[in-house]
Amino acid sequence: MLSPSSKIVSWIAQLVAVVIMGQTLYYKFGGAKESVLLFTELDMEPEGRILIGILELVACILLLIPSSITFGAMLGSALMTGAIIGHFTTLGWEGERFTLGMLAVVVLAACSIVLFIRRHAVPLLGSALQDRGE
Amino acid sequence: MAMTGKLVVNLHKLSRFANIAIPLLAGLFFLAGLRISFYFHFLTVAFIFLTVLNAFYLFGQKGHSLLRNFGILAQGRYVLESIGPELRQYLFLNDTEERPFNRNERSEVYRKAQNINSASSFGSHKNFDSTEVKVRHALFPIDKSELKPLTVTFGDMRDCANPYTLQHPFIISAMSFGALGERAVRTFARGAREAGILMNTGEGGYPKYHLEEGCDLIFQMGTAKFGLRDEQGLLDDEKLRELAAKPQIKMIEIKFSQGAKPGKGGLLPKEKITEEISKLRGVPIGKDVVSPPCHAECKDIESTVRFIARVQDVSQLPVGIKMCMGDSKEFRELVNEMKRQSAFPDWITVDGSEGGTGAAPKAFMDRVGIPLFPGLKRAHNILSELGVRSRVKLIASGKLVGPGRQMIAFCLGADAISSARGFMLAAGCIQAMQCGNNTCPVGITTHDPDLQRGLDIDLKSARIKNYVDNLEHDLVELLCSTGCRSIQELSFDRLYVPKDSTLHAYVVQKR
Repeated sequence: MLSPSSKIVSWIAQLVAVVIMGQTLYYKFGGAKESVLLFTELDMEPEGRILIGILELVACILLLIPSSITFGAMLGSALMTGAIIGHFTTLGWEGERFTLGMLAVVVLAACSIVLFIRRHAVPLLGSALQDRGE
Repeated sequence: MAMTGKLVVNLHKLSRFANIAIPLLAGLFFLAGLRISFYFHFLTVAFIFLTVLNAFYLFGQKGHSLLRNFGILAQGRYVLESIGPELRQYLFLNDTEERPFNRNERSEVYRKAQNINSASSFGSHKNFDSTEVKVRHALFPIDKSELKPLTVTFGDMRDCANPYTLQHPFIISAMSFGALGERAVRTFARGAREAGILMNTGEGGYPKYHLEEGCDLIFQMGTAKFGLRDEQGLLDDEKLRELAAKPQIKMIEIKFSQGAKPGKGGLLPKEKITEEISKLRGVPIGKDVVSPPCHAECKDIESTVRFIARVQDVSQLPVGIKMCMGDSKEFRELVNEMKRQSAFPDWITVDGSEGGTGAAPKAFMDRVGIPLFPGLKRAHNILSELGVRSRVKLIASGKLVGPGRQMIAFCLGADAISSARGFMLAAGCIQAMQCGNNTCPVGITTHDPDLQRGLDIDLKSARIKNYVDNLEHDLVELLCSTGCRSIQELSFDRLYVPKDSTLHAYVVQKR
């Protein structure tokens, strides 16, 4: 059982991740110029933009349903790792790209906090921790 | 290691290979993402995560030796192990292998509950010649019309104000509201009412849902005396009088010990304590409820018999005791004391030592208490030797879910059969063995509303009635085949007991 305070921290982190990921969906699905340019540089336009948009939408939904929070956090952190790889390799960090990249870092951090707080419920990890007496 | 040229799987080498391959692949996919297509980074990310997890297994955690030595591939063992019970039950165990009930025993109950003919073909699956106890039939079986009624009357051997006649010799054994969820209690209670049998409330205190369904009840008084206790945990006569006055309460059973954990008090795991149960029993939420191992009023044999007489006197109902047989000498002393005080319980429920819904320490479930058949035989023998067998009825309890074992119990001296798991199976139990976890997948031993949803009270209570009807049908046919006109005419001589049976010790040399 989580203590009330860690539950609150986890939910704040979940909401931060959902709000940040959620608002980019508007641009991704709407085909905003900056978003299209970004995915063109990655050579993923338009399928990759839609696909990643859908996966981010799924992550947001999972993060809000109590029984699937850890799965949402895992998916969210995986997507953000991919985004950060993108910034380091192709997209760069200049100007607006810096803001976008930092948002990805923030979401990754939020998802990591959720995963840490709920580590006992993480698949493949929970039982290994429990047996250490944690 | 010598090369043998044989094709073998070396799990040790395979896992070492995997531990190196996972980070290498992560790097490889990263390069592919850089040079070929950004889509490869989906794999990059997956393998980065795997690398981190594997590093934690190999260097971070210490609890699992296998994971520490072999990494992620060792998870395969835990995955397979976790689905083992299901695989074994579905695929690999044969029809006579499972415990506590094998598939043959379970499907016999299911068929009876669903009114399907249970005839089968081409021979018995039992280990026919070596261990199975059998009933000796008569050369001249009798007709059903010659049978005496199968009713049993409790409290008729003393001047009890309200003796009770059980119409069919079957009782739904003690399962409290707590062990069972609300819908299960209603299902059993409604089924008991429709079938015209008794239901035991279990020691879980004031029987709210049992009473609402209006079936005939045995109220069980456990060592904690839930529902009847005063502030010190002693019996409150006024509360008992009030409870016994309710028209549905027909008999009172004082529980001394229980087959699942003889020598220990009842146990309700904290997972199953809801707000309602905590209120009904007067216990806190979030802590296991452990009843004391014995009644505070019963310090020795003399006070025990006095206590039984006191409950009889206050309740004005038939009063019995429930126990798992332990030391025969103690039981003999107890019966002698009953003779001396001329105070007998109206029945004794002899419980086997296996356990049912009750959560019990494994050592107790497996290793303490005498199994039902030899225990019942001992109780019957001791009561007979002391000349008081007719004063006390015997109820047998312990894995008596089918007519075969029930018939053996009757031959060993039982007057009626009490079963919990038989009725659970009839109500849809699949032997998932989750009773103590509040996760019963068929909604019987759980308080989770989502799981209870699956239990349809009307349909399943009708199955309880079918089950009782078909048990009685088989009992009647078996009785006719032995040529006995009533259950009381059955005796140990009616049994064929092979050498490997636990009952063989009671066989007087004859063939």
